[in-house]
Amino acid sequence: MSEKRIDLSELNLSEDELFSRINHDELESEKITAPRYSYWNSVFRVFFRQKINIIMLAILALLLAFTYIYPAVTNYNPDVDPFINIMDSSAKHLSPQAAIAKFGSSLKWVLGTGGSGQSTFDAIWFGSSISVSMALVCAAINMVVGVVVGAIWGFSKKFDIFMTEVYNIIANIPYVLLISVIVLIMSASFWSMVFALTITGWIAIAYFIRTQVIIIRDREYNLASRCLGTPITRIATKNILPFMTSVIVTLAATEIPSYISYEVFLSYIGMGLSDMSLGKLIEASQNAMQTPGWEIEFWAPVAVASIITVVLYVVGQNLGDASDPRTHM
Amino acid sequence: MTKYLINRILRSLVSVVIVLIVVMIMIYSALDRNLIFAQDAQYSKLQLNSKKVYCMQQWEKYGYVDYIPFADYLKGLLREGEIDQDTYNGAVKLGKTADRDSELTQKYADQFRKEMEADGYQIVRLDGITKINSSKYKEGGDPRFYAYKDIPVFQRLGNYLGGLITVDNIHYVEEDIADRGLTFTWYDPAYGGEKFSPAIMGNGTFNKYLLYCDDQFPYIHQNLVKLNLGLSFSIRQGVDVFTTMTETQGSYSYSLVSYPSGTVTESADNLHSATYAAGSFENGTPVIKNNFVDDYTNVSTYRNGMSRMGYSFVLGIIATILSYLLAVPLGILMSLNKEKLIDKLGTIYIVFISAVPSLAYIFMFKSLGGKAGLPTTFDMENPTWLMYVLPIISLALPSIASLMKWLRRYMIDQMNSDYVKFARSGGLSEREIFSKHILKNAIIPIVHGIPGSVLGALTGAIITERVYVVPGVGNMLTKAIGVYDNGVIVGMVLFYAVLTVVSIILGDVLMSMMDPRISFTSKAG
Repeated sequence: MSEKRIDLSELNLSEDELFSRINHDELESEKITAPRYSYWNSVFRVFFRQKINIIMLAILALLLAFTYIYPAVTNYNPDVDPFINIMDSSAKHLSPQAAIAKFGSSLKWVLGTGGSGQSTFDAIWFGSSISVSMALVCAAINMVVGVVVGAIWGFSKKFDIFMTEVYNIIANIPYVLLISVIVLIMSASFWSMVFALTITGWIAIAYFIRTQVIIIRDREYNLASRCLGTPITRIATKNILPFMTSVIVTLAATEIPSYISYEVFLSYIGMGLSDMSLGKLIEASQNAMQTPGWEIEFWAPVAVASIITVVLYVVGQNLGDASDPRTHM
Repeated sequence: MTKYLINRILRSLVSVVIVLIVVMIMIYSALDRNLIFAQDAQYSKLQLNSKKVYCMQQWEKYGYVDYIPFADYLKGLLREGEIDQDTYNGAVKLGKTADRDSELTQKYADQFRKEMEADGYQIVRLDGITKINSSKYKEGGDPRFYAYKDIPVFQRLGNYLGGLITVDNIHYVEEDIADRGLTFTWYDPAYGGEKFSPAIMGNGTFNKYLLYCDDQFPYIHQNLVKLNLGLSFSIRQGVDVFTTMTETQGSYSYSLVSYPSGTVTESADNLHSATYAAGSFENGTPVIKNNFVDDYTNVSTYRNGMSRMGYSFVLGIIATILSYLLAVPLGILMSLNKEKLIDKLGTIYIVFISAVPSLAYIFMFKSLGGKAGLPTTFDMENPTWLMYVLPIISLALPSIASLMKWLRRYMIDQMNSDYVKFARSGGLSEREIFSKHILKNAIIPIVHGIPGSVLGALTGAIITERVYVVPGVGNMLTKAIGVYDNGVIVGMVLFYAVLTVVSIILGDVLMSMMDPRISFTSKAG
């Protein structure tokens, strides 16, 4: 070390950049100077780090806009569609080019017309609003009931024995049978369909959550927590629930598209909604698929249903991955 | 292990019975019982009182009610010797209304009324409906008198389970019949009595042949023990569900048949299926009189196609084998090349299959296959192996995706575990670690699903069979629901439930055989 001392005034620095002496402050020293951590901020930071997620979210926003805003703006109602005219065969089953040539170029006719002269494009978005709403409502009900019951199921050993038998029974009743009986008794309306899909739908989710809870339940840190006298509810909400967030998000991501697919399947076998949902549209245009030139009537709703489910699935899976704190490094 | 398995099987049987109870309550109590007539041509033809009586008869046949007409009651008295034939003939005649009954009829009607009401029956007297200005009854307007009682669900369940398995015996036939008994022959008369083919034949039994041999798999057949899953109402009226699933379909298959009377003709009749039908020889057509010698005239026919279950099983089993053969190496390859091109391609495939509605990709492959020149519909009459291709692809696609997804997940989880790091530090080669340790552990949960997919092949696939017009079992349940065929629904549910329960138990057994660490006996909950 040399003994040479630097004269600070030679460096020509301003007063601010120089060290200055401050007094010791008791209160200030208690604060921890680390960046504020917010779980959900980190989740979204990780989520938006991937370009594909931004693209997918943009597509999802566009799809949802068409699903919910477009039918509202155009005031579309399949029951009083002015273009439905069964007698006028010149307006039925038109290809997109023919429809645009006949009615003029507008977004309404880009997918041609259907079997009764209605615009396929309008019908699809109206149908998808019903299908997507149903999927969201069913997924919300099933997730809430499933997670709550699953958590109790995983914690209580007595409840476990009982619920496992209930699960064996419910899992053995064909879903198709249950839905059709409920629909027959209650009519094939939106809410009776929701009822049919949720009355036993939660049990699979509850079973999945139960298995996850059992895996985490007996880990050492929970054992320690219990020894220290933490109440079960606090262990459940503070020790276990955070662990399960990514599992729950991933599960929700597969649930929502699966209800859309299921609705399509039920309509195809003739047990679906009475409303003009996506599934009903696909079922109604089945015969059009066999006819050369009319295939678009069938493929358009199928394609829209597929795009919606794929986008929802990918966004949900990636959000599920991002909500796992291990990816936050 | 044995004790655990027995306990497990018993518990599963209890859940199967509860499933049946739930389903029976759902369809017999919650649904309107008139719905079963939705597809019935006979029902729409009948009118007035005979329609009501027809409903009662059908409901009794399908287990809804216990129905006793006045005439049957009198017949019972006649059989017991309480009344003679003349009294019966007099009492059975009903007047237009109850007031106009003869004294004799009134006496027995009151007795009938009292006895039935004491047993909790509802008594119904339908007055005759005459034509205008005439004393003749309108068509179906005859007066009727009967009693009925609803059968509660639990009694119905008892009846159903009690009749599930029937064993044929020589006292089946109620009528007087000569030479009741069993005969054993080395030379089956159905083949002309010269070919060596052992058979046991019965007289007085329901089936004529109790045990016989033929040239079809499994070569030795029996009719002694029969499974009754329930009678169909509209899918195949009066035929048992299990028979509907297992009998052959398609066009008749003709061969030379030696009838019991000695006549030898070209026919599709399957003499081995002959069952007893009272009075069928006496009242039969000249053809029956020419061919048969007794009342065992009710025969089924040989057909060219496979059974419903046969088609579903062939498709399902090939698809299952194919998906394990493809998915296991592909899943391993994906996990070995994690986050490289092959893994990404595989992931895209998995996302596509799991997210897109199955209907969409089945139709996509149908139209792609159709463009490639493959047959897109199933034709029983001109079977080619090509027509199996597209349905098998449709069935295999989703199971390949899910197998790949899980195998990749399990493999990657195992790769990160401590024992793998330890093995690596111990100097084992990557190949050795991989094949001896990782794969062995990762494959265990996959093995658990094998019995399920094999047995699941028996139940068929709803969409695939519909799209490719496969005459399989997959559609039977949805069809039965569509026409309210309750007997078929209950039978199919029982069939499905038993298969699921069996496949879960078999899966557990297979898993514990693969992995000695898994023991069910000392497992703590």
